[in-house]
Amino acid sequence: MTELSIAEEPVPAPARGPSMQQAINLALEKVLEEDPTTLVFGEDVGRLGGVFRVTDGLQRRFGAERVFDTPLAESGIVGLAVGLAMNGWRPIPELQFDGFAYPALDQIVNQMARMHYRSRGTAPMPITLRLPSFGGIQAPEHHGESLEALFAHVPGLKVCAPSDPADAYRLLLQSVRADDPVIYMEPKARYWDRGPAELAEPTEPIGSSRVVRPGRHATLVAWGAMVHRCLQVADLAAEDGVDLEVVDLRWLKPIDADGLAASVARTRRAVVVHEAPLTAGLGAEVAALITERTFGDLLAPVQRVTGFDVPYPAGPLEPQYLPTLDRVLLAVQRTLEA
Amino acid sequence: MAEQTFALPDLGEGLVEATVLEWLVRPGERVERNQPLVELETTKSAVEIPSPCSGTVVRLHASEEETLRVGAALVTFEVDSAAGIVGTVPGGERPTRRVRLRPPAE
Repeated sequence: MTELSIAEEPVPAPARGPSMQQAINLALEKVLEEDPTTLVFGEDVGRLGGVFRVTDGLQRRFGAERVFDTPLAESGIVGLAVGLAMNGWRPIPELQFDGFAYPALDQIVNQMARMHYRSRGTAPMPITLRLPSFGGIQAPEHHGESLEALFAHVPGLKVCAPSDPADAYRLLLQSVRADDPVIYMEPKARYWDRGPAELAEPTEPIGSSRVVRPGRHATLVAWGAMVHRCLQVADLAAEDGVDLEVVDLRWLKPIDADGLAASVARTRRAVVVHEAPLTAGLGAEVAALITERTFGDLLAPVQRVTGFDVPYPAGPLEPQYLPTLDRVLLAVQRTLEA
Repeated sequence: MAEQTFALPDLGEGLVEATVLEWLVRPGERVERNQPLVELETTKSAVEIPSPCSGTVVRLHASEEETLRVGAALVTFEVDSAAGIVGTVPGGERPTRRVRLRPPAE
């Protein structure tokens, strides 16, 4: 009868909804429609529609005064956003690739992140800085980085990284409507993924994580493209009789410490997975938050599975650099044996 | 589906034009990335130009023995997806592993 019962399992319909590119495009369309102070700008976002097609059609629809191309000067793009925000606009600039964020760091850290504080609250910075991020598309050097820890360390910034189309839509709406600057990190490797057809308004506050797969033996914590990797690991673990919970952190600042603690208090084991190098990566922060809140519940030290302490490698070496299924499984095994 | 036009690239050594010797593809033909497209002759040498993408050839913009300036349209393709201009679309690779887990004692 086993075979019969397997055959009767409902087979999930293949996802036919918008891809993550399209979901972000639809979210941009919505905020451009609902708020006349929103502006979209960056390198190639106007006429071309973005190198990943994320801003496709927006200039045609909203005109070149609200959706426009900038010179190839990232510091100028963010500086322009800061000035516009000071004058009542709600800018949504794009830096074409995460590796191009470095020239803009002065504007991001010294101006965008501080202006609200420096002006004693009179000059909020409602800027959403869109940053195609992380690896997995075999891009050349400077086109794949994992900068979340760098941004999360800067007081005044909020940071998020969606993992699927529906959440990309929700998080972008939240980011744009927030009056604080948000670094919105788009996982390039998931741009072509499709999700459910219905896109919905956000219902949870900024800073909420979510359990994308419930389980009882250990919690995997990830964000961006690594959520998908953790879901693959959970499927494999289930074949071995190990039931893994997967938490999508979503917001990397503020981090949902209570949500993490609630999950790990149940499973009593935790593994955090990220693409960035190990040392001083965000995994250390997550491990500390979990340990502070659930030390008495933990059956094993929190494990980290990360990239290596080397420059983010060019395309052909990505599979060796990014956390593999086996590396995550080994970390899970270490928590099970402790 | 989207059309993408490939311009005559800079062939190096300060050369500003090239002459089409022979087309190795024809309109309507399916080509793979890096498949030879055309043989060109410059004042220095004959070179074969590989296809920059996979797709279907829509138009050849020069006839054989015609001379083109660097930057002039060479071929228009219909490409399969509106993928990013940089990098590749990740494939739907099947997850493989070597590590097996031992469930905890309950």
